[in-house]
Amino acid sequence: MNKLRFQKIEKTGFIFARILMGAVFLYASYDKILNPQAFAEAVYNYQILPDFAVNAVALALPWIELAAGLCLITGIWLPGGVFVCALLMCVFTAALVFNQIRGLDVHCGCFTTEAAHGPAGIWTVIRDLFFLVLSAYLLVRIVFLPLEKTGDIPGRAA
Amino acid sequence: MGAKNKTIKAARQALGLIVLGCILAACTNLLRQNSLPFAGDWSADSRLSDDSGQSMVIGLAEASRMYAEDTAVFVDARPKDQYDQGYIRGAVSLPWQQVHERFMEAADRLETAETIICYCDGENCELSHDLALFLADMGFEDTRVLVNGWTVWKEAGLPTQSRNTDNE
Repeated sequence: MNKLRFQKIEKTGFIFARILMGAVFLYASYDKILNPQAFAEAVYNYQILPDFAVNAVALALPWIELAAGLCLITGIWLPGGVFVCALLMCVFTAALVFNQIRGLDVHCGCFTTEAAHGPAGIWTVIRDLFFLVLSAYLLVRIVFLPLEKTGDIPGRAA
Repeated sequence: MGAKNKTIKAARQALGLIVLGCILAACTNLLRQNSLPFAGDWSADSRLSDDSGQSMVIGLAEASRMYAEDTAVFVDARPKDQYDQGYIRGAVSLPWQQVHERFMEAADRLETAETIICYCDGENCELSHDLALFLADMGFEDTRVLVNGWTVWKEAGLPTQSRNTDNE
């Protein structure tokens, strides 16, 4: 009985995590797709990529986020979507932590391209770490240790 | 399906999504009116330009010559606490974050200048460029940016000042 209850709670949590991460990625892609120039400046300010790669990454990244977000929400190509989601969260968190450590005062560029939202700080890192843990859980649950069919949204299977 | 196969499937799909994202990005960029070049020019001259695309960058040699001839006013775009710790001697503090509140304080000094040289600290600090564009919009015709101004000025041993100490 307890096991069944736990499975039910876990399943609800899994669906919630999946939809939340999908929504986060969709939301994150929106402003960047509309303002590629401003996002390219945010990418440049991270001072991680060589100059020639800045624009290409700034153009492609939001569309990859959009595709991954749609996969998480709809369940189409779910393993691939969660793989991309976890990979991107690793990259974003590493880039933020790297610049915090070296003391570079950069704007996050995570959800908006507007610099008025202030530079990234420790709370931005904590938020990204939370999303990283969530995407790692989804990756394990969907790809590495699938407990059951993960097509919890009606009509879709993983 | 085994875990190994699932992982391979996930990796393949992820690669597919990345390729799809790149294709969509390229197509929409080509269709966009003001499309972004795939390989951009991020040199200081290109980044720090005015609305007509003209570079606003001034070199240290020219800036120090203007300083010696007293033909330029230097404007420090950094936050006030950083300015208080040390600044180019005689520079006006006009923190970019408070530019609207503090502009009138600085305006008297700026109106007397032939050239205004904005600076902040760090190769990629954008405050001085943002401030220079703002001042150009306010009608100051010869507004320039000294890239990484505070550091290069200090390292060249040129005159500096702080709230407590004169001429370091």
